[in-house]
Amino acid sequence: MTSLPKDPVDVIVVGSGAAGSNMAARLAEGGKRVLILEAGPARGPGHLISSTLYARRVKWTGPPVLDEGKNPVGFVFNSAYGTGGAAMHHYAVWPRMHPEDFNMRSQHDRGLDWPLTYTDLATYYDVVQQEAGVSGDATKEIWRPVGAPYPMPAVPVFPQGNAIARGFTKLGKTVAPLPLAVTTTNYNGRPTCLWDGWCDSGCPIGALANPLTVHLPRAASAGALLVNDAPVTKILTSDDGTRAVGVEVALKDGTRQTVNAKLVVLAAFAVENPRLLLASATPKHPQGLGNSGGFVGRYIMTHAAGLVYGLFAEDTRPYMGAFGGQLVNQDSYPKTTHTKSGAFGSYQWMIAQAVKPNDLLGISTTRPDLFGTALQDFMKRATRGFAGMTAVCEDLPVADNRVTLTDQRDAHGVPIARVTHTTHDESVALWKASLAEGKEVMQAAGAKEVWTGPPGSMHIMGGTVMGTGASNSVTNTYGQVHDIPNLVVAGPGLFPTSAGVNPTFTVHALAARSAQQLLASWEQLAG
Amino acid sequence: MTPAQARASDVPFRALDTGTVAVLDALGETLLPGSAAAGLAHYIDHQLSGDPADSMLMIKYLGVPAPFADFYRVGLHAADALARAVHGKAFAEISKEQAVGLVTKMAGGQIEGWQGPPVELFYFVLRSDAVDVVYGTKAGFEQLGVPYMAHIEPPSRWGE
Repeated sequence: MTSLPKDPVDVIVVGSGAAGSNMAARLAEGGKRVLILEAGPARGPGHLISSTLYARRVKWTGPPVLDEGKNPVGFVFNSAYGTGGAAMHHYAVWPRMHPEDFNMRSQHDRGLDWPLTYTDLATYYDVVQQEAGVSGDATKEIWRPVGAPYPMPAVPVFPQGNAIARGFTKLGKTVAPLPLAVTTTNYNGRPTCLWDGWCDSGCPIGALANPLTVHLPRAASAGALLVNDAPVTKILTSDDGTRAVGVEVALKDGTRQTVNAKLVVLAAFAVENPRLLLASATPKHPQGLGNSGGFVGRYIMTHAAGLVYGLFAEDTRPYMGAFGGQLVNQDSYPKTTHTKSGAFGSYQWMIAQAVKPNDLLGISTTRPDLFGTALQDFMKRATRGFAGMTAVCEDLPVADNRVTLTDQRDAHGVPIARVTHTTHDESVALWKASLAEGKEVMQAAGAKEVWTGPPGSMHIMGGTVMGTGASNSVTNTYGQVHDIPNLVVAGPGLFPTSAGVNPTFTVHALAARSAQQLLASWEQLAG
Repeated sequence: MTPAQARASDVPFRALDTGTVAVLDALGETLLPGSAAAGLAHYIDHQLSGDPADSMLMIKYLGVPAPFADFYRVGLHAADALARAVHGKAFAEISKEQAVGLVTKMAGGQIEGWQGPPVELFYFVLRSDAVDVVYGTKAGFEQLGVPYMAHIEPPSRWGE
């Protein structure tokens, strides 16, 4: 293990995923001495073995998380433990949120308002898509909010995509290339993607914009130090409770070491961030840090996956492409599109995802009812003609969907987290509406067989939501904890609503905006 | 050594006992023919014997806390008990048709008196394991005519 510094640093970033690596790079480039503490093991491209089985090793193996409620968030699958965090194996589907995602409470009396607007984020989306590299066709995405065109041409469409696109077109709906943070040209020294569908195992060639490829090298070049196997057990605050002064880290020999810093950035994902805030309670913050309003841990969200499958007569070559898909449709983005069926919220289709024979998202798992010779027959047929698409269904924020601490403790004595999540009725109805539409599309496309899957959980958001004050949230728009301005939360935990798109692009845009503000106000912040 | 080679060489089990392995082989063959010869039992045994952090079992995605050995042991005993209760014989000794009948009930999730983990989950986990050993490897992909297209090839001995 790289040694922890004995002297104070300017910034400690807890976590090396999308948010942490982005913040670390920017703050280090801004001249700050940055220490990144990663609880999990060191991982480099050489660890990213092309195998659905080996991919399971890079998922969460940290302290247990009790994953409960009627619709658990699927913590292990949706997170990771090690360098690059969950973004190391994310599928790089990078659509922008829409303006209407930011004011749902005002407009529709549902969920929460964000304390910022799309306009506040637009330029940061532009900056991040340039540095990470996003492929797409802005003109064909008729639903896309205002923004700079993509820096790389659109991803290719393979037979699976063409087959499903037929159905959308026949029904008068639109498809466009899926915006992916995956290379379609050589980009900043990174090679073009080979479209072999191994994204879930982690991309070792640098085609997919994960932290190992984009922001961690930048952070390192600017002098940031990354220390692995360094779980933070406590955020330390000043005696008067107004400032973060550092963190306590558990060392492998069982001892603890304190590292002091002028700024602490919590970027340990949507469950570990509130866990640490709650577990760092002091007499000045008896309910946990940032929790004077009682919002730490609340409004945990996860997208229900509207999984729709079809079997076609043609060879769809479903193993080709990216794991995230080839095409997108956002016709169902307006929040009230499906209100007649009791639904509320947005969804988008990710169309024609590359699939492997096995695994949670593999072909075999789409028909869990089949076994024996029926399963063998299905696998042979489906390998030729399978096609699938996934609706990313907005999950309304519910205060009681939350992270709490349990009486059980991890190996370092920190209480382990329980995540409870039960989907709002209107979000369940939205998921059902997506399945109904999806089946119609597959039938129109000419599928011989059409079937659907269960509402799997994609992405985890909320838990440390941003807002206008401690009476409604945990942080401000920059992720600064209301009561402790030099304690900053980064990541999808800040989202007050989940939107109907994948979160990682917005995580990056928020992080870029936050880092800029932190650097601009450094003198005041550092005290 | 691959799981199939481990089976062919009769490598001793570490986490599972002989009786449990017999149930696992029979159940695996019912779920996906060829899985026993592909080394299903040795694969699971190997994964259960190591550090849970290194486990490659599908069960880690499904909200079951590690370690996973008891899930398998108790589930396999329950399947065996089910065969004995319904057919008066061990699961490894019932006919193919009888095994298919019992697995159909397991998949449906409704078995009175089942003494194991949630039966539908147990079915899903075992079925996923069988699919992993048969189709989740380079050889399995080839069998289906799917190009493997590895960036980094998995080692032939799983778990290294």
